Amino acid sequence: MWHITKREIYDNLNSLRFALTAVLLLALMVTNAVKHLREQPKRVQRYQDAVTESSDRLTAHADDSLYKLAQYGPGNFYKKPSSLHFCANGGELVLPDTVKVDDPPVFMTDAEGNRLLEGIWSLSYPDANLQNKNVGPNVSQVDWAFIIGYILSLIALWFTFDAFSGEREQGTLRLMLANSIPRHTVLIGKFLGALLSVSIPFALAVLVNLLLISTANTVHLTPEAWGRLGIIFCLALLYTSLFVALGLLVSARVQQSAVSLMILLLTWVTFVVFMPSTLASIASSFSPAMSFDEFWQQRNPIQENLWEKYKEGLWSSELDDWKLRAKSEFYTENAEREERRQEEQLKYRASQVHRARAITSISPATLLQHLMEGFAGTGFERHLQFVENTQRYARQLREFVADTDRADPESLHILAVREGMSQKPISPESVPRFEDTLNLSRDFNTAATELLLLTLFVLVLLSGAYLAFVRVEV
Amino acid sequence: MLTLIRRELLDNLMTFRFAAATFITLLLVVANTFVLIIDYERRLTGHNDAVNMHQRQLQEKITYSAGEVRVDRPPNPLSIFNVGFDKRLGNEIEVSHKLVPSLWDAGMHGSDNPFMDMFASMDIVFIFEVILSLFALIFAYNAFAGEYESGTLRLVLTHPIGRGKILVAKYISAMLCLIVPLLMSLLLAIILLTTSTSISLNSDDFLRIGGIILTSVAYLSVFYLIGLLISAATRRTSTALMLSMFVWGFLVLVYPNVILTVIPRPESPDALRTSAFNRIENIWETFDRERKHYLATDDFPGEDWGYELRGWGWRSAGFRDYSRILLYTYRSVMDFSGFGEKDEPKMPHAQKHFGFLGALTIDAADRTWLIRKPALEEIFIQPANMERVWLKLSPVGLYDAATQAWAGTDLLGVRDFFHAARQYRQSVINYFYDNKVFESRQWFSGDKGEADWSGLPQFSFQRDDINTNAKRALPDVFLLLMINVVLFIVIFLIFVKTEV
Repeated sequence: MWHITKREIYDNLNSLRFALTAVLLLALMVTNAVKHLREQPKRVQRYQDAVTESSDRLTAHADDSLYKLAQYGPGNFYKKPSSLHFCANGGELVLPDTVKVDDPPVFMTDAEGNRLLEGIWSLSYPDANLQNKNVGPNVSQVDWAFIIGYILSLIALWFTFDAFSGEREQGTLRLMLANSIPRHTVLIGKFLGALLSVSIPFALAVLVNLLLISTANTVHLTPEAWGRLGIIFCLALLYTSLFVALGLLVSARVQQSAVSLMILLLTWVTFVVFMPSTLASIASSFSPAMSFDEFWQQRNPIQENLWEKYKEGLWSSELDDWKLRAKSEFYTENAEREERRQEEQLKYRASQVHRARAITSISPATLLQHLMEGFAGTGFERHLQFVENTQRYARQLREFVADTDRADPESLHILAVREGMSQKPISPESVPRFEDTLNLSRDFNTAATELLLLTLFVLVLLSGAYLAFVRVEV
Repeated sequence: MLTLIRRELLDNLMTFRFAAATFITLLLVVANTFVLIIDYERRLTGHNDAVNMHQRQLQEKITYSAGEVRVDRPPNPLSIFNVGFDKRLGNEIEVSHKLVPSLWDAGMHGSDNPFMDMFASMDIVFIFEVILSLFALIFAYNAFAGEYESGTLRLVLTHPIGRGKILVAKYISAMLCLIVPLLMSLLLAIILLTTSTSISLNSDDFLRIGGIILTSVAYLSVFYLIGLLISAATRRTSTALMLSMFVWGFLVLVYPNVILTVIPRPESPDALRTSAFNRIENIWETFDRERKHYLATDDFPGEDWGYELRGWGWRSAGFRDYSRILLYTYRSVMDFSGFGEKDEPKMPHAQKHFGFLGALTIDAADRTWLIRKPALEEIFIQPANMERVWLKLSPVGLYDAATQAWAGTDLLGVRDFFHAARQYRQSVINYFYDNKVFESRQWFSGDKGEADWSGLPQFSFQRDDINTNAKRALPDVFLLLMINVVLFIVIFLIFVKTEV
């Protein structure tokens, strides 16, 4: 078997396609690295500036008073850019990188513009809206996901389309099978040979890419990031072996290598290029999205409803305990409902995306894309995780405010109302801070099904190739 | 000659690759047209909803100053062929006297889930781009190389036929074969389009589709000739096949996706932006001074722009600016439904003031546009056009650009809408002047007669006629044809010089 593998590799090493592949992959990977080195520092800088600004806001509020903190909340939240952004950019243009903390709504002002009734902060999830200002052509990112998903898979087919049909045309297949080698050994030898010959230029390109990125002092990769890179490399090999197996399968069944290449390319085009987008649009046409106006129209009845409920307490100018409590409940409930409404819209959109992702998983290219995004810490799942982090932090901060207020004996402990709360400044260090985190074990769990599916694809195709090859007459 | 063509044609028609090509193209095009039509219908519904809603919201307003006249860009039915910018750029915009509307001020009526943009969008031209080029190469790779190997070329050349004729015969017959799947799939797509009730195509649209077909044939021919060139140059089928596939992968897959990240990006012209924004700021500072000057010097004591009117309603005024897109405007809204008794004498003063303010705002907005237009052009459009030129170095880019121009979904086609919106703004302003709307009481109050929106001129946007589309598409089509001619000459030279 090793003999066959070795023969295959030697065969390929000298061929034109090997040279072309190596050049192409190297060029792409160098482009990828250079682009990453140019953009990542800017991205990190932007993130840090934004975080500092939002942290300053929180400090200012805390320095003012506990009430101010309860009313205005923390500054906006920002998504931490992944250091493995070059592996999969994960639709960064479409995904917003922030969760906003809305300023308290003003319900009523007097003639001079003084605020009589003002609520408290709430979370909101803005859209990434830079898209419609961009008048340039669509730019697709040259990330690893693109290089592996499109280019490497095509290369794998390019190396295997004539694995059996080519030998049959030359007659060497007959010669090989005349020896006392079992057919499955031949198949596995061929498989390993092709996989290794694709992996060699790929590994070389990856090496150059990582060398460029890790030696630059503008970006830094943590040990955990290296672990993730290792997983991504293994993923790439798994994905490549899928196409190698496909190539062997078709090549074993078809007599001429030209026909074999054609069938392979058509399959590739259908599964890798067309299927993801077609299936996604089919999925989205099943369940139309909630329109923007509908979304806004929902808001008014809710507010009117609340307004009715707490009317008496809100209108009065006296400040007795009962009225303060009515105000407090009104503000809190209003913020809660506003938040819930936004959250529901996000959930609805997310479920639509999840459905589309599930359907498009028929295409191995999408599977790979999702897995890469998962391990690189970018993409849609990561965005949802970020949103979840902010929600958790929002709860934590509200609890903190309530606890701190409880510790102040002068306060009436009626939250969200100026007169009912502690007016003392609090030390900014004691306020919990938001930290956006990435979690590897969590990624593993979400990726498990997709990983399984991809492995299953490989196994099915390999056994298909085996059956086809065993039954074939030379 | 005819015999040659017939022979080649029969050779090609009876092959597996022809059947596969036709079948796959038909399948992909029909399936995607289906999806694309549903998508178009959804966008059309979204558009109609938005138009109705804007109409309703406008009618509800009882004062002119609170009313927002919004116009919506309808989806282009030919976006099914090439979606271009149709989905990406803003499709609703406010037309008002305070701002000259441009592409960058437009919003999206968000009937769609923005996250779904993560999935790449499709159109028929994209299918052709990928599939037809592949088929063209598959048809071409063994045209010469195969005949060298099987020896039939020698046989053919023993007859007294010119080599040029053989080449032409091969070209014509293969192109005939390749056009079959193209035309058949387009025919089915058009049938599907016409059966859909929401899509109405006029005669101009069919001419545009004709333009798209013409461009597709030119594109197909480029790739066939590339395949022939490789076939004639390599003389071996296996090498020819491998090289063809590499060239295909490079031209269709790698180049269009990679080139924009490789070329050096011009730094965004911050200096230009700042200087333009400063000039715009000056305009509005002058505007503010004049406004305050008027308030201070008019017959009414006090400088309140609302003339201290107390009543039922709300008012707000302020500047809005966004330096990134050089936006600067002043908005003052006063929306009252009734006043107290003692406010009546103030009314003529307020009316006169709003008349003055309206004219002043229009003037400032128009002068802003004179600075803003060329600056936006330089900041946004020119770098984008540069990128487009880079993309056009591959036939795929040329094909995409030309079909976008035919379909009217290119940047210019979308900008036509904003041009129409600007013209509409002018007619709205004229209507306001003619009916003395700024000076009217209805500008800020609905207590004595409400604002009458029914007399407002109607907005209608017609896509430009076919001549304009043709004018925009023809340079790219011409370039494609030139590539064809050059390739043909090169192949002819190689073929004439080769020894059999």
